[in-house]
Amino acid sequence: MTTDTDAPRDRHLCETCTEAYPTARLLVLHRGARHPDALDATEIEAYREAYYEEERELKSFRIRALGVLVLLYFGFLMLFIMYAS
Amino acid sequence: MIRSTTLRRFGLGVVLTSVLALVSDPVAASNAAVGLAGASQDNLSVPRWLYLATGGATVGASALLASFVTDRRFIERVHLWRTTTGFSDSLVSVFRATGSLLGLVLLALVVYLGYTGPQVPTVSFAIILVFAGLRAGYTMFTYLVADTWRALNPWRTVATVVPNGFVSYPDRLGRWPAVFGILALVWVETATNVTSRPKTLATALVGYSAVTLVGAILVGADTWFDRIDPVSVFLHFYGRVAPIRLDDDGLSVRLPGMRLVTDDDMTDLADIAVTVVLVWELTFSGFVTTEQGAAAIRAAVDVGVPPLVVYGLLYLGGFGVFFGLYVLAARVTARRIDTFETPLSLAVRFAPPLLVIAAGYHLAHYFGFFISLSPMLAEALMSPLSSPANPLVLTLPAWFGALNIVFILFGHLFAVWVAHSQAYRTFPSRMQAVWSQFPFVAAMILYTIISLWLISLPTATPPFI
Repeated sequence: MTTDTDAPRDRHLCETCTEAYPTARLLVLHRGARHPDALDATEIEAYREAYYEEERELKSFRIRALGVLVLLYFGFLMLFIMYAS
Repeated sequence: MIRSTTLRRFGLGVVLTSVLALVSDPVAASNAAVGLAGASQDNLSVPRWLYLATGGATVGASALLASFVTDRRFIERVHLWRTTTGFSDSLVSVFRATGSLLGLVLLALVVYLGYTGPQVPTVSFAIILVFAGLRAGYTMFTYLVADTWRALNPWRTVATVVPNGFVSYPDRLGRWPAVFGILALVWVETATNVTSRPKTLATALVGYSAVTLVGAILVGADTWFDRIDPVSVFLHFYGRVAPIRLDDDGLSVRLPGMRLVTDDDMTDLADIAVTVVLVWELTFSGFVTTEQGAAAIRAAVDVGVPPLVVYGLLYLGGFGVFFGLYVLAARVTARRIDTFETPLSLAVRFAPPLLVIAAGYHLAHYFGFFISLSPMLAEALMSPLSSPANPLVLTLPAWFGALNIVFILFGHLFAVWVAHSQAYRTFPSRMQAVWSQFPFVAAMILYTIISLWLISLPTATPPFI
């Protein structure tokens, strides 16, 4: 897969598959998800931390998404009441 | 944390309810209160903009629901599930030989009967086989069941038995010749009388055979049919949606559309263009056969533009808009997400879901047509040499129209899931996987609205051609 190799940014390389990531956190998440057997103890700890941090972000995203779904539901309910006859 | 089974049930429930709400007819809820029947007979009439908005919102809401599923192992289990059966070598060669023979016999019959048979489309073996058979029924079989064109393809059968591959094909051309080939074939189908004059169809087939054989012998059968031949590329791309695959290792079954997540056989912009062409050609033929489309074309011609130029501009311009929209979605994703993936590589990864959308559109456009012509097709295949005196056509019940909405929406819902799985394969962070899909989902919502609008319009004959 083509990646943008000329980007003037920090490159965090995965030592198992040489894939590059722009931040250390993304590299930690990548190694945890793709090469779980190649991690040492500190990496496992870092992955766990990054994973739970992301879990919190996901939780807040889910609440917002649920809000949008509720709005869509009631919004369409109102539209159907007003315009469908 | 919510369990994934509960989520799945909830998601399925919401999807089914919204589809039912869209297509249900209140009169169908009949009951024993006959005395009140007169009071409850009015159909619910929904303004068109609300129907379109509901369709778009269904796709958007299902993308949001899919984003609730964040368990990588579950997502992987879904797209990696497979079951395989091996075949003995002799059985494989029997299949191959039967397919090759069948393909050659059918091609010979289509050309022969196109010239000598009755010049009436509804009883012509050539017209029925090519349009009700290959264009409608066989294409459906290709994406719903399995791609068998490689074995059936009569031109491949001929090209592989003679020495071939004298010129090397420049790799940088990719599948661009196939993109223009498919556009050209659809143009011939719309703008000439191949669909109504068997002789013209037979001549077109003879010309197509000559070009194909010369080309395949020059650049080699594998290269020609994999990259240049429009019909093979068209069917091969549709075939990637199919749950069943038959190859030298035997038969393997996957969940529908899930090969699109794992088979990374799209590589460049030309492959994306092929998928967009599949979506666009159905939208184009949908547009020019509606009253509004015909009126728009007439209005442009009244201003003084020649009809063929109007059609050509609409055809290529519309393809450009669809293609541009998709590339724009990839650019937006690449800019908004912290990644080294280029817009091109993202576009390549997120192009396969478009094939499921194209399959849904194809089903919406051709399923009713195929079912109503199926007795005619069966009769033509059983006795190709004697034309029927009274060709039989099935009349479809009114609810068949509602099926088209279901096909389009289901195509989009499957596409949303394919894009979701692809996002989890591409991005290490689950938040990135969630955000990356939204520009593509926005493009899909737009495609849904356009398609639902087209199938809601009254049909007409395209003017001037």
